[in-house]
Order: sequence, then C-alpha cells, then structure tokens
Amino acid sequence: MNLVFALIKKDYLIDFRQKYPIVGIALYIFATIYISYLSFGNLINPSTWNALLWIVLLFASVTGIAKGFIQEENSSLYYYFLTSPSQILIAKFLYNGLYQLLIVGLTFVLFSIFLGNPVENLPLFMLNFSIGALGMGAAFTLISAISSKTGNQSTMMALLGFPVVIPVLIMAVSNSRNIIFGAGLTDIMGNLLTLISIIVIIIALSFILFPYSRRN
Amino acid sequence: MNFLIRTNWWKWLTMFLLTYTVVGGLLFTVPRLPILNETIRNLHFHVPMWFGMIILFAFSVFHSVKYLSSKDLVQDLFSKELINVGVLFGILGIITGMIWANFTWGEPWSNDPKQNAAAVALLIYFAYMILRGSLSDDHQKARISAIYNIFAFAVLIPLLFILPRLTDSLHPGSGGNPGFNAYDLDSNLRLVFYPAVVGWTFLGSWIAGIMIRVSLYQFKKDSE
Repeated sequence: MNLVFALIKKDYLIDFRQKYPIVGIALYIFATIYISYLSFGNLINPSTWNALLWIVLLFASVTGIAKGFIQEENSSLYYYFLTSPSQILIAKFLYNGLYQLLIVGLTFVLFSIFLGNPVENLPLFMLNFSIGALGMGAAFTLISAISSKTGNQSTMMALLGFPVVIPVLIMAVSNSRNIIFGAGLTDIMGNLLTLISIIVIIIALSFILFPYSRRN
Repeated sequence: MNFLIRTNWWKWLTMFLLTYTVVGGLLFTVPRLPILNETIRNLHFHVPMWFGMIILFAFSVFHSVKYLSSKDLVQDLFSKELINVGVLFGILGIITGMIWANFTWGEPWSNDPKQNAAAVALLIYFAYMILRGSLSDDHQKARISAIYNIFAFAVLIPLLFILPRLTDSLHPGSGGNPGFNAYDLDSNLRLVFYPAVVGWTFLGSWIAGIMIRVSLYQFKKDSE
C-alpha cells in the first residue's frame, strides 16, 4: 500500500513540477466552455446545457487521462521492476479518479458562471456527475495503457475510448437530464445502480487485463 | 473452432437449413399482426444475424483468452478472422433492420435505442480493426488487440442486452422480456426461426473457417 501511495505521489509530482499538464487541462476546459458561451449566447435550454456539459467533460477527461501512461513510456519505466502491475493500476485508478474530480469541479464551476445553472437538486446532480466522470476515468485508464503502445497515441485514445465509454455515458447523461427536469434519488436509483455495476465490471476487467499489457 | 474446421457434415446441414429458411421463411403462413404484417418474415433473416454476430464475437474472445495464456499467434489469427465475419454479420443485421424499419417505422433510422446500440457495437469493432492496423510487431499486435477485444466484449454485453431494455423502444420485443414473446412467435414462426438461427450461425463459422485457412496459409508462408 505504501508503494501505491508512492506511485500516486510520483504522478502528482510529475504533474505539479512541470505544471503544464494541469494548467493545460484547465485552459482546455476554459477555452471549450468559452467557445460554447460565445456561440450559444443566451439561447441555451436545459437539454442542450446538459449535453454540452457532458461533451466538455468527455473531451477534457480523454485529454487529461491520455497522458497517464503515455508520459511514462520513455522516461520512468524502471519502477515496473519494483512494483506489481496491480499496484500500478490501483495507483493510476486513484490518481485518475482525483484528476477526474478536479475536472468535474472546474467544468461545473466554469459552466455555471458562463452558461448558467438550471440544476435544482445540486447534491444529487453532482453525485451522478462525479460517478459518470469516475466511470469514464476507469474506462480510459485501461484504454490509455493500450494506446500508449501504438504509434499514434492521442488519436488512438479517442478512437478506442469513445465507443467503449458510451454505455457509461448513456446511463449518466440520461440520469443527469432527468435530474435537471426534477427527478429524485428514487427515480434514478435503478439507472444509477446499473451505471455503478458497469463501472465495477470495467474496473474488474482492467485488473485482469492490465498485467498482460505490460509484458513484452 | 478447430473441431468445426476438421469436419464437414455441418456444411451440408447449413446448406439444407438455409435453403429451408429461404423457402419456408418466404412461403409459410405467418401470423397477421398489426403494422408488422408480412414484414414479420424479416425475423428469419434479421434476428439470426445478431445471434451469429454475438456467437462469432464470443468465439473470438475465447481465442483471445487462449492467445493471452499461450502466446500462440495462430490463436490471434482465429480471433481476428472471427471478428471480421462477426462485423460482416453486424453490417448485414443493420441493413436488414433498416430495410424493415423503412416499411414499419417509416424511416430507415429513427434514433431507436437498439439501432444506436448496434451502431456503437460496430464502431467498437471498427476501432479494433484500426488498432490492429496501427501496431506493426506481430506479438504486440496480437497481445494488445486481444486485450482490447476482451474489454470491448465485456462492454458490448451491457450495451446490447441491458441498456436498450431500460428505455422505451419501438423495436419488437421491447418493454418486456427478450424478443420472443412480443413477436407472438407461434409454432409456424418457430418452425423456421430456430433452424434459421442455426443455419446462419453455421454459415458464419463456415465463412470464418475459410478465412482462417487463408490466413493460416499466409502465416505459414511468411514464417518460412
């Protein structure tokens, strides 16, 4: 477990010493939202607002997580000899999870400032939003491990990741729309449980498959 | 899949069953249901495509797992060709569905959850093909694509079998249990439907078998 924390700390140090990954993502989110603000103006209705929010989150998280394994390919492979694959994966899951929550917070705040906020039941909305984002993060973690092996990493990431993440997105987006239109916890419970079980399947499979992606 | 390549009694069976499906499917009496009318005959041609696709994909995953445990490139060839044929079946399934939808729903594509799920399923496997194309080393290609194949299949199951059932759909069989009851499958339909499923699935394995042999031959020629 200490190793896991050491790995998380390593990722954190890389990101915050170089600064540009974190600031880059923040700027990416800001630029996307500002473009939406400029192009939609005041015409936005709750359905469009919801769709736009998820699209921004999707692109921000695919850009944010893509770097996870890619940045390691050349520089820091030595620690694979010291740790087991499952420790690396746990560390990546936790770090990507934190990263996703950061993206969720930033996206939501900027969105509320520029495009308004039609949400009434804020805690429930944020719960569903975060679970959806964590699910995306989980799915993209294994995909980024796969795509770091190919020549064209960022394109492959989107190409392989988007279709795979659609089941998570369908559930989360429809929940989120329902919440905006006034659904309570009991109304979306079934969907939420299905969403969580899909995420559990994705995480379990990642643990089974990830060790194979590291062997040469 | 190997046991199917070695024997050929099932190829005669396939020919017989598919002849029977085409003749019986087009000529036997069918129940008169509102809206569906004669288009219910599509049951024998559209639905078996999805059965065939899922079975071929499942075999492909089986061979991917075998590749990961044995590192035998032949398993990878099996898995690749099974996916190629499975995608062919998927495309045929979408096309037959769109022709049918044009007559019953009034338009070929109407944003139905089942249509969307089918399109996404094909998208996943097109991505698989591009992934294979982007890797050059044979063993790495086999390993990475096997991982993606297993992962994709696990995502495919909820996508095709769970999510469309949670929302309303125009598709026959929705809003209740899996497809069969809502079709009002009477014994006449069953008489053709089950042989059709077996026949089309065997046809898929037959095509896959031929393609596997071709790539095995090329593989052996290359490695000499």
